[in-house]
Amino acid sequence: MIEVKGLSHSFRVGKKGKETEVPVLKELSLKARDGEIVSIVGRSGSGKSTLLHILAGFLQPDAGRVLVDGTDLTSMSEAQRAAFRLDRFGFVFQNFQLMPGLTAFENIELPLTLKGVPAAERKRKVEELLESTGLTEIRGHYPNELSGGQQQRVGIARALITEPPVIFADEPTGSLDSETEQDILNLILSLNKKYGITFVIITHDDEVAAIAKRQYRMHDGELTEGGLRHVV
Amino acid sequence: MSFKDQIAFVRQHIRRNRLRVFMTVLAATMGTAFLIVLASVGFGLQKTIKDDILSNQMVTQIEVYSEDMTDAKADAMKKIDHVEAVVHRKSLVPMAMGELEGHTGSMNTYFTDFGDEQASGFKLAEGRFPEKPGEVIVGSQFAAQLIDESVEVEEGEEPASYEGKVIGQTFAFSFEGENDETASKTWPFTIVGVKEAPGKDWAFDGYLYLDESFMEEMESAYIAASSDNEQEDMSFTNSSVNVYADDLANVKAITQTLKDDGYAVYSVSEEIEQIDVFFLALKAGLIFVGTIAILIASIGIFNTMTMAVTERTREIGVMKALGAGPKLIQRLFLMESAWIGLVGTVIAVVISYGVSFAANAILPIVVDAALGGETGDSFKVTFSVIPWQLVLIASAISLTVAMISGWRPARKATKTDVIGALRHEL
Repeated sequence: MIEVKGLSHSFRVGKKGKETEVPVLKELSLKARDGEIVSIVGRSGSGKSTLLHILAGFLQPDAGRVLVDGTDLTSMSEAQRAAFRLDRFGFVFQNFQLMPGLTAFENIELPLTLKGVPAAERKRKVEELLESTGLTEIRGHYPNELSGGQQQRVGIARALITEPPVIFADEPTGSLDSETEQDILNLILSLNKKYGITFVIITHDDEVAAIAKRQYRMHDGELTEGGLRHVV
Repeated sequence: MSFKDQIAFVRQHIRRNRLRVFMTVLAATMGTAFLIVLASVGFGLQKTIKDDILSNQMVTQIEVYSEDMTDAKADAMKKIDHVEAVVHRKSLVPMAMGELEGHTGSMNTYFTDFGDEQASGFKLAEGRFPEKPGEVIVGSQFAAQLIDESVEVEEGEEPASYEGKVIGQTFAFSFEGENDETASKTWPFTIVGVKEAPGKDWAFDGYLYLDESFMEEMESAYIAASSDNEQEDMSFTNSSVNVYADDLANVKAITQTLKDDGYAVYSVSEEIEQIDVFFLALKAGLIFVGTIAILIASIGIFNTMTMAVTERTREIGVMKALGAGPKLIQRLFLMESAWIGLVGTVIAVVISYGVSFAANAILPIVVDAALGGETGDSFKVTFSVIPWQLVLIASAISLTVAMISGWRPARKATKTDVIGALRHEL
């Protein structure tokens, strides 16, 4: 379970010495139960990406706590947070963020490589996942040889490979056409159902947000819970 | 991430930037090879000079000087560790004369113990060592100093010296007393051995080597032939002691022991030590100059690694986002710069040995040709020597510089902001 309590964060902008503080997050609280899909929807500049960065441990907040199954992420060092991410989180990015020099297979394999999983086991796991996600045919392709939808499928497979309890998705369909968007959302829903993975989805799109059971709306650094569960 | 995977990761990055990495390796190679070849000249010249000294002298010989040398003191030296032999020679002070088949001449005479001489490596060109009283050994040019004075010699011509066989010949030996009076007594000596010629072409060995048992008898004759009032001042012989070490490596220690005992000492180790000090300074200077070349190459490594980090900002960001720790990121980049340094060093060592071999093969021919072929066979100069220590020093400098050059870019990589990096497009 992810629990956020009293989270505040500001950015310092302007020239050195004449910086001004711009508050981005204002005493937020949030909850994501195990196996839930949670969406955070908001317009550009509302602070939703900053929230995701703090939840994922990329950024340390000015105040507040982020508890993941009772472990406080905000009290960890950078190295500890990196190890925690590798162990517990998966990431899906708007721009896919695949390594250009690695094939689809190698990109999916990367988190396992970072974890130090032996090569034979890595191969077996990636093969299995390629099969179950229907990516076997493109396994040897480099990212620039793949369509947006294929790239995002590879991105999702990469997030899944370590079997993390939580996957953060930052505008997962932001770079895709509406048809592909629907495919990806369906994939997320099925993975959530099949593996019980908690998804935290950041989006500006109400339709994407609608797949979540628990929906939050972000506005000017403040978070409100609400919204109905739509049937996709 | 396992070490094997880290290497695979680094190799993959190097493959993607082949040309740039190649140019950087080339710069590192040139810098390191320059350092090794430059310093190898210092090692080469040192070797040439040392070899020259060692070929001209008995390297294990230690000359000992003392105003009051006695046989007892010389015998005490035999007890020093690693001393093979101690030869206590007494040279005859009065002028000695010899006469063989009408040829006469003066000569230098040594009283010595042939047992000690043999132990020290005294070798005969022909004949044997004395076994009976009256038998002696002579130097290789002994005969050349015996001249037939009855033959008239025109100006500019060399006087006629004895040219017959010396082995087995008996000659009359006498010496002058004080006030140039010839000693009344004459000794017949039979030559039974001729000493091996000295190593140096210009060295003259016309010595007469007598067993020291003759000394007492001759000294009495000498005193008898001298005027009474000057007896106290005169000395019949001068002592010289040579100590021989069992190995060149022990010469230094024996020299030091003798010095500690209060003797004035000279050995080849003293000379070599001075040469070593000079060349140590020279080599240090050459290595310093060579290091500057490596430092220049390090700018290339720094540049390449900084570019690599900048180019891969997004990839670093993704890796950090996925869970790569700062230490891993730093290690990956340090491994890359170390790889450049290592490959550069290995190639440099191979090239340096090639250059060194070529220099030693070609330069003497070039110098000989430039001097009009006058250098002759004796012209044996080693221009370049690369001992393993030099390879080790150069490798250590090269790798250290490569790692230091890569350090800052690697640190920069660890500080990459994940959020900024994920937005980064190149």
